[in-house]
Amino acid sequence: MEDVKKVKIGDKEYLKVEQKFTSWRDLLKPVTEKDFKPGFYHYPILKRDADQLGIPYRDWDPLEPDWHLPENWKETFLNKFKELLEKHRQFKLFMDICVRCGACADKCHYYIGTGDPKNMPVARAELLRSIYRRYFTKVGKVFGEWAGARELTEDVIKELYYYLYQCSLCRRCSAFCPYGIDTADIVWRGREMLQEIGTVQRFSYISIAACARTGNHLGLLPGGIAGALQSVAEDVYEITGIEIEVPINKKGADILFVAPSADYFATPHWYVCMGYIMLFHELEERYGFTYTWSTYASEGGNFGTFASYELAQKLSHKIYEEAERLGVKWILGGECGHMWRDKHQFMATMNPPPKTLEDPVNPITGTYFENAAEAKMVHIAEFVADLIEHKKIDLDKSRNDHWKVTFHDSCNPARGMGLYEEPRYVIKSVCNYFYEMPEHSIREKTYCCGSGGGLLADEVMELRMRGGMPRAMALKHVHKRYGVNYLCTICAIDKAAFPTLFEFWKLPVAVGGMMELVGNALLMSDEEQERELDLRGNPLPGKEEE
Amino acid sequence: MSLVYLKLFIADVLPYIAGAIFIIGTINRVINWAKSPVPLKIPTTCGQQKSLPFIRRTWEDRLDSPYTMWETIGRMIVEVFLFRSLFRNTRYWLDKQKGVDTRWLWLFALLFHYSMLIIVLRHLRFFANPVPGFLSWINALDGQPAYVPALYITGILALVALFWLWARRILCSRERNISYPADHLILALVAGILITGNLMRYFFKVDLYAVKEVALGIVSFHPASAAVVNQIGWMFFLHLSLVCITVAYLPFSKVMHFAGVFFSPSRNMPNDNRARVHINPWNPPYHGISWQEYYEMYKDQLDEIAENGYKVKPEV
Repeated sequence: MEDVKKVKIGDKEYLKVEQKFTSWRDLLKPVTEKDFKPGFYHYPILKRDADQLGIPYRDWDPLEPDWHLPENWKETFLNKFKELLEKHRQFKLFMDICVRCGACADKCHYYIGTGDPKNMPVARAELLRSIYRRYFTKVGKVFGEWAGARELTEDVIKELYYYLYQCSLCRRCSAFCPYGIDTADIVWRGREMLQEIGTVQRFSYISIAACARTGNHLGLLPGGIAGALQSVAEDVYEITGIEIEVPINKKGADILFVAPSADYFATPHWYVCMGYIMLFHELEERYGFTYTWSTYASEGGNFGTFASYELAQKLSHKIYEEAERLGVKWILGGECGHMWRDKHQFMATMNPPPKTLEDPVNPITGTYFENAAEAKMVHIAEFVADLIEHKKIDLDKSRNDHWKVTFHDSCNPARGMGLYEEPRYVIKSVCNYFYEMPEHSIREKTYCCGSGGGLLADEVMELRMRGGMPRAMALKHVHKRYGVNYLCTICAIDKAAFPTLFEFWKLPVAVGGMMELVGNALLMSDEEQERELDLRGNPLPGKEEE
Repeated sequence: MSLVYLKLFIADVLPYIAGAIFIIGTINRVINWAKSPVPLKIPTTCGQQKSLPFIRRTWEDRLDSPYTMWETIGRMIVEVFLFRSLFRNTRYWLDKQKGVDTRWLWLFALLFHYSMLIIVLRHLRFFANPVPGFLSWINALDGQPAYVPALYITGILALVALFWLWARRILCSRERNISYPADHLILALVAGILITGNLMRYFFKVDLYAVKEVALGIVSFHPASAAVVNQIGWMFFLHLSLVCITVAYLPFSKVMHFAGVFFSPSRNMPNDNRARVHINPWNPPYHGISWQEYYEMYKDQLDEIAENGYKVKPEV
């Protein structure tokens, strides 16, 4: 699909990606296991997870010519296709109205990074559209290939598997499409069809199965969650000298707090988690704020939104059920990307909110979060921005002076929610040095980290490093120009993906979250000695040993 | 003699067939879309959401991330009449490692669609007697009076824009790759219509009174007689048959985007998801573990958390 050549410009050698373009006939010719490249295809689902989730399982290898598709696979696939067309207007519409203007083509970071024409959003959607035309339109039935239609063969299934899992559902293309065609929705439906015949990837289904069992993607049991939060509190003690009690499963608290499970498990998410409990402790001390974590609703993220409607519903159900059981007034959500696509756009539709919840009013400032009136779930950035605006917490900006910060708009809070100014407002309130990345890589035009949408698997590392290239280059620009050394992001997958990506692209930039910066700057009323270290254990500016 | 029958067929019968196919086909298509419910509210939010009072929201944010019904209508108007999303277009330059604004596609798409709109409006004067005032104004504005007959700017502009869009599909490798025969077919048909129309106006002139009689005959269901039809030159019939073929083809082609864009949930829904919850008519019941089942699975660990007073303390 593409060639990498060495080119000499002056006395330096460069690698040049040359694209090979052909005709529409090649667009319809399926890419099969013969052309699969290592680093681009996913491992298949595990038996354990398939059995738990009721997905047909067989032993197969993406690199073998025979994929052992189940009997009647074609019928099953097409029946599902028909069912989804009848259930989803947007899907049916997106199958019909594309004019192939090409506006979306170079908006996809995977296309930019791989140069593979099949990674253009329009080409990705055409994978399914060609089948749609053949089996669900008269023109396609009669004119076949000439109308852009193709038979559903085993090779086509292989191609679907290869390319539907090279999309991170970031919706960047949707912002540029004149008809708003949402490739994320098309890919979601396509994966739903593949799930019907058991031809799905391993990574996200491990997490989905774990989440359906234990309430979180990591499969942590209640004791493990309690232990992890205890360790967070111990780390906070080491930095601040404050012994913070972290409430878990506590009935009668005002607010249920839900974060992605990575926040109390992985690094640099960990520092964000320290930030959460420091802020909540301070609010408790000063204003009598009460909240609780939950082990049942221990995951805000929802990998089901990468797989199917039913799985998305399955994983987001627990939040409201737990809020009702604990008798909280409303729900506060932590820093996460696709979690907020789910919590903002899907959750309340998939699982109607319980009547026991009250109006989302900030108990400290009295602000009514009108935009969360019915779903009763507020983003931590909205909550903290409101606190800062009303001067309810004291901050020392200079504690973040060792960071020159830039903000990466995570795809889903940006294009699936419209959360642009709140995190910027918070970041500008807690640090002195803030620089924006180039205009074409932020806000609604933000680039994906390259690892979202179920692509955080290690076997697709090359794809991830290529897909993250546009973001890395935008960061490189501000790193060189302003000396930016800290990328702030409000997405758990970003925080997991970026450290690897920046190592690959040779960018000495730390990755962290908004709440880490807040935690750093927060002046806590019961903090006795002056703080010497930031949340990472590095000396604060001005406190370095001589 | 047989030529008269052909002319009569094209002038008096073909428009009805094409019109019927177009109307029934379009309604069919729209009903087909409308039959499927919208399960989720999925606006693509390209601007700041409405949240706290001190968070600034510009008028652009209101249009790109609408919260109220009127803002959503505004977004649709800007999308349909000004091609907002195409205006956002960028191009990624691998060597410079950055995207830059490219508005050529937007410009030529806008030129093409508006020229076509004005051309269609201009043609309405054939179907009305007397001609309404605003149609005469459009005519007067569009006509460049330095030439006789007045040179219609849109007739030329539409053709220029169309060939630019077509050249893009042929010369740019990326667009060539995604252009099906159907994409070229519709361009060829419209190019044919525009070329025959221009030729007819400036070179192969036809009897406009007779043409008007035919047009009025079509709308009043009194088809023109053989004598009238015979007065008109052959270029008119070429033009009209191309128009009819195209109109009949529209419901089966990608041109249905003109109706589809109004149905697109990522544009026509407000970004008020959390304030007003969307109802999915086929939302299935929840299948999964409840708190009670969860409690039974991990009873000992959950009881331990309860024994510790529903909190954890750091061990220091």
